[in-house]
Amino acid sequence: MGDRRRRRRLAAVATVTGLMCATAACGSGSDRAGAGDPNTLEVWTRSNPDSAATYDRVFAAFTKKTGIKVDYQPVVNFDQQLQSRASTKDLPDVMINDTALMGSYQSQGLLKPIDPASIAGGDQITAKSWSSTVGLDGRHYGIPYSRQAMTLMIRKDWLKKLGLQAPTTWQDMLTVAEAFAAKDPDGDGKADTYGMVVPGSAQNGYAAWWGASYLWQGGAKIIEPDGSGGYRPVMDSPAAVKTVTWMKDNLFCGAKNVVQPGALTAITANATNFQDGNAGMYLTGPYNITTFDATPGKNTYEVVPAPAGPAGSDVLADGENVYFGAKTGKTKQEQALAAFLVSPEGQRIAMTSVDGHQPVVRIPVNATLDAAEVRHDARWSVVQKAYEDSSQQFPNAPDFAPVKQDTADSLNAILTYCGSDVGSSLKELNDTLAGDLKDQDLLK
Amino acid sequence: MTATVTAPRRRAVISKRAVLPWVFLAPGLLLALVFKFLPMGKGIWLSFFKVRPFLGDQWVGLDNYTRVLTDHRFQDAIGHTLLLGFGQSVGAIVVGFLLALLLEGQARSLKIMRTAVFLPVVTATAVVGEMWRLLYYPTSDGLINHGLSFLGLGPVQYLDNPGTALWATMVMSIWMIAPYNMVIILAGLAGVDRTLYEAAAMDGVSLWQRLRYVTLPAIRPALGIVLTLAAIRGLRVFTEVYVLTGGGPAGSTEVWMTRAYTLGFTRNDIGGASAASVVLLSVTLLLTVTVNYFRKRGDVR
Repeated sequence: MGDRRRRRRLAAVATVTGLMCATAACGSGSDRAGAGDPNTLEVWTRSNPDSAATYDRVFAAFTKKTGIKVDYQPVVNFDQQLQSRASTKDLPDVMINDTALMGSYQSQGLLKPIDPASIAGGDQITAKSWSSTVGLDGRHYGIPYSRQAMTLMIRKDWLKKLGLQAPTTWQDMLTVAEAFAAKDPDGDGKADTYGMVVPGSAQNGYAAWWGASYLWQGGAKIIEPDGSGGYRPVMDSPAAVKTVTWMKDNLFCGAKNVVQPGALTAITANATNFQDGNAGMYLTGPYNITTFDATPGKNTYEVVPAPAGPAGSDVLADGENVYFGAKTGKTKQEQALAAFLVSPEGQRIAMTSVDGHQPVVRIPVNATLDAAEVRHDARWSVVQKAYEDSSQQFPNAPDFAPVKQDTADSLNAILTYCGSDVGSSLKELNDTLAGDLKDQDLLK
Repeated sequence: MTATVTAPRRRAVISKRAVLPWVFLAPGLLLALVFKFLPMGKGIWLSFFKVRPFLGDQWVGLDNYTRVLTDHRFQDAIGHTLLLGFGQSVGAIVVGFLLALLLEGQARSLKIMRTAVFLPVVTATAVVGEMWRLLYYPTSDGLINHGLSFLGLGPVQYLDNPGTALWATMVMSIWMIAPYNMVIILAGLAGVDRTLYEAAAMDGVSLWQRLRYVTLPAIRPALGIVLTLAAIRGLRVFTEVYVLTGGGPAGSTEVWMTRAYTLGFTRNDIGGASAASVVLLSVTLLLTVTVNYFRKRGDVR
């Protein structure tokens, strides 16, 4: 009896010990394989499996060329994961993520400053692109990797059926949107089509991301440099009030179905009406071209410059930068990777789609390349032209994340209530933005 | 690791018999320690700092708490959280009770029905949210609006109207939680003495009287559990809102946790988000203790 009990006890102890060892192994991070190896770089990108497949090809070519290995981690919820890695004070060596996040990362001390001259081939990147990676202290904190600007995707078969032209002004755009909504462009006899797609949710700042192009076109800005190193909020300007009023009155509170139903709670992931073939226009980034070529189909739509507002046709430009994690001690290898990523060879691999996977470089930052030529697709010259000639980025030297989120919250609220007083709502937003800038010691 | 160190030391002082339960508990305790208590402690600790891992955290005392509690959007969120938490808890208990009454029994068809009804509980909330977005789709393509169109009504903008979005979220939550309550109440119903029903029938009582004086008192313990669970999870609602509306439109469905999430991960204010979470934890703890107190008092009576 006692013998059996002892054996049982022994088993229990063994089980417990086993469990603890397993837990300890998990905790101490088997996921950090190769962390100590100076010849292996841990690289993070904000990618789904589709674009990760393209990055895999890029990094394979880099390893083949330089012998430096890459431990590649595509991360979908990038910022959440980055925050938890930051709390362990062990960052990935290289990160590729949105341009607009630079100020946010820099303000948290997550980035190494970068000398453009230290990146081989850095002189092939245009001054405009380099200027977008300057932090508040005048130093560079990122290397431009991919750029894009918004263009208007529009159903050309619908235009043809209704005898319309692609719009070049806001007024034209409204006319086309109303016609798409009311005149049954898909000819199925049902009123089930919508003018345009709007990801208008405040979640993750989508409303500000989508609305920014309209603000630029209306001559408004969200915040602007005050000339002495600080920033001031300018969302209460007459241009901003006029623009947001136009958006509210015409897109959300005007004729029926100008925007798709559910726009106010839609993020890009569930604003799929253009793919589904029931909305006719979508002002969005060129990464959608690959998607839309599959559905609704390459020959059903065209890519045109955004219709101009009262102050021009500037659209929101954004893209991705290469960032170096702070305190990683692998600067030489990181610089080698960055040099490869911006080289004509590296950019070319990232711009081509193999097996239908999403390319990860939209407009190349390397000035020796031409997007339309590399892709054999003239539509990309529309995007490249929009980026080069008429685009503005979010100011990314300050931590723009709170500014964008507050702007999105406010726009979403204004567009929700048709009876809202735009002037006073924007005044309120301006005060909130002033608070955000003050938190960063940028409001003088 | 703490458990391994303490176990042998105690063995020397206390008898083996006393140690054994702890050894068996160790795996669970260890897991709880690593995945629950340590992070929780860290969260409370961080709530007193301006968190900047690479520049050094700054002690700010109760600053994060004042900031969160005076923020008007958090204040708006309190109302939504209370309404949603209370509404979905009461709704889910009522619906769960009705389902339990309908589906109690041994017949094979009832078993199949019970399994079918229970499915929402084991489905990932994110999936349920996407499904309800389709059900609520604001044109006649949406299932619910399609149904309404037969009555010559609609289409209704369930989620894009700030007046209805919170209620629409509540209906989805009830749909998700009610079957869980049903199972607990079913277990309670199984223990009801059948002879009481027979006696009641002989006395010629109405259906309502039978429910009120026989069924409800008999399933009091089950209802107690259901209420405690509701108190624990009612206020921490997050995924439902995040998937369905993202807090919109115009912040009309913003609840405490979505606000904390935005603060932490969109605005990178981990200190503020921790403070908000600690506040929620305290309120939940208080609520649970209160519910339990009343439950125990009722039991004694």
